[in-house]
Amino acid sequence: MNSRLAILVKGELHRLHKYNLTSVSVLVALIWGVFLFFLDSSLDTMLPFVLVMDATMMSIMYVGAVMFFEKSESTISTMLVTPVTNSELVLSKVLANTLHNMFASALIITVFMIIKDVSINIPLVVIAILLTTAFHTTLGVFMAYYQKDFTGMLVNVMIFSFVLFVPSVLFLLNVISGPIWEAILLINPIQAGQEIILAAFKDYEFTYKYYFSLSYLIVLGILGYKYFVLPKFQDYAVKQSGV
Amino acid sequence: MFKVEGLKFKYPKNESDVINGIDFEINKGEIFGFLGPSGAGKSTTQKIMIKILEDFRGKISYNGKDITEYKDDFYESIGVSFEMPIHFSKMTALENIEFFLKLYKKNADIETLMKRVGLWEDKDKMVGEFSKGMKIRLNIVRALLNEPEMLFLDEPTNGLDPKNAMILKDMIREFRADGGTVFITSHIMSDIDQLCDRVAFIVDGEIKEMDSPRNLKIKYGKRSMNVEYKENNETIKVEFPMDNIGKNSEFINLLQTKDIETIHSGETTLEDIFIKVTGVGLKDE
Repeated sequence: MNSRLAILVKGELHRLHKYNLTSVSVLVALIWGVFLFFLDSSLDTMLPFVLVMDATMMSIMYVGAVMFFEKSESTISTMLVTPVTNSELVLSKVLANTLHNMFASALIITVFMIIKDVSINIPLVVIAILLTTAFHTTLGVFMAYYQKDFTGMLVNVMIFSFVLFVPSVLFLLNVISGPIWEAILLINPIQAGQEIILAAFKDYEFTYKYYFSLSYLIVLGILGYKYFVLPKFQDYAVKQSGV
Repeated sequence: MFKVEGLKFKYPKNESDVINGIDFEINKGEIFGFLGPSGAGKSTTQKIMIKILEDFRGKISYNGKDITEYKDDFYESIGVSFEMPIHFSKMTALENIEFFLKLYKKNADIETLMKRVGLWEDKDKMVGEFSKGMKIRLNIVRALLNEPEMLFLDEPTNGLDPKNAMILKDMIREFRADGGTVFITSHIMSDIDQLCDRVAFIVDGEIKEMDSPRNLKIKYGKRSMNVEYKENNETIKVEFPMDNIGKNSEFINLLQTKDIETIHSGETTLEDIFIKVTGVGLKDE
């Protein structure tokens, strides 16, 4: 990582803390922790569900919140007149939000590994959370470009959840099942995230679905960043300067 | 240092150009002002020059090189202060400045700068607690922290009280004295008059006149001397033509025989000249 990107990531993490988003994140992790602590029977299903939710919906919300704070203070205009490149600015948000989310997820995982003796493959869960969060943060950055306020962003996240998250959860809970749903859900990034997160838990059977989901998130993430998120950033940032 | 030739610009949603083919040059070590009412195209021109707005027509060169050829190193040598205060409100003034400082290769002494604008004592306060004047002063510190060669200031004294406006103007003059070049946009006539070596009047995206404030006053001003004197407990005003004033016997006689209260040259203000040249008031639009 170049030094300027490192400075930007550090700055983003500092602001996440200063604007109380880290506190919110820890609080949410604690609430989930308490909820899961009293849930003995379906812990194996619910813990991955919480991790998926944190890495997908919550990632979009956090990066949306950060960008709306920036919008309200027009600070992005100042960033535009520094030697920082647009790609460094976007990447710093993605990296900082991913690390931030990893921290919250790590809290939950650690507590459950110690208290509930849950067996998790650490390298696999770390890769899965990092990848899923990075993808959804990038998506959140793109969604924030087109929203005037945070309420608008929340509405979009709700729609996004309804369309993509609910089917994925219903499938996880076996409410919907079968090969057709399995095939349809393969192109759902939340399902892809869920698939690779589940792989870190015991009794997961590695099939083509894991490798497809892993590749899907990587390829779609890179293409989305290169062809949508980065090219649109300049327009978004210029609008924040009052144009 | 900066050369703008045939600059035209249209916002994507507009039907017509907001900048209609302007030409000007800013020389090294000069304070150059853009004077015009709101919506005249001052800030748009500045945003094009600092590479925030792209897709302009015409040519702009900086130090002899087309600005489109510059990459992000362009920002190592310029400093920009926007009209509105722009800071992270939940961070302290020092945290704000230190964050931006790390992004540049050249670093100014923050303590000296913050002391100069009277903010060092408040460095550990959250910027959200600052008054508008303090935030504007912090804007200037931010613009100067990379020791730029050129400063872009958008309405720099707008919202500042007279004392702070004076500190800021002194800092701009010191910057110029140290070899810096400044581009100021303003609708405040006194800022331009007091600071600028040259000024361009801009209205509807067109430069209507461009020269030094002094030359403009000579060109468009009324050349007269106004004398006020007291006679029989009454103040009497008399106006004399400036030409050959030293040989005007009536004027000399008045000075020798009357109880003079005031003598002023009938200098026209820059604002009057602006209205005369453009037909538009600075507070219009």
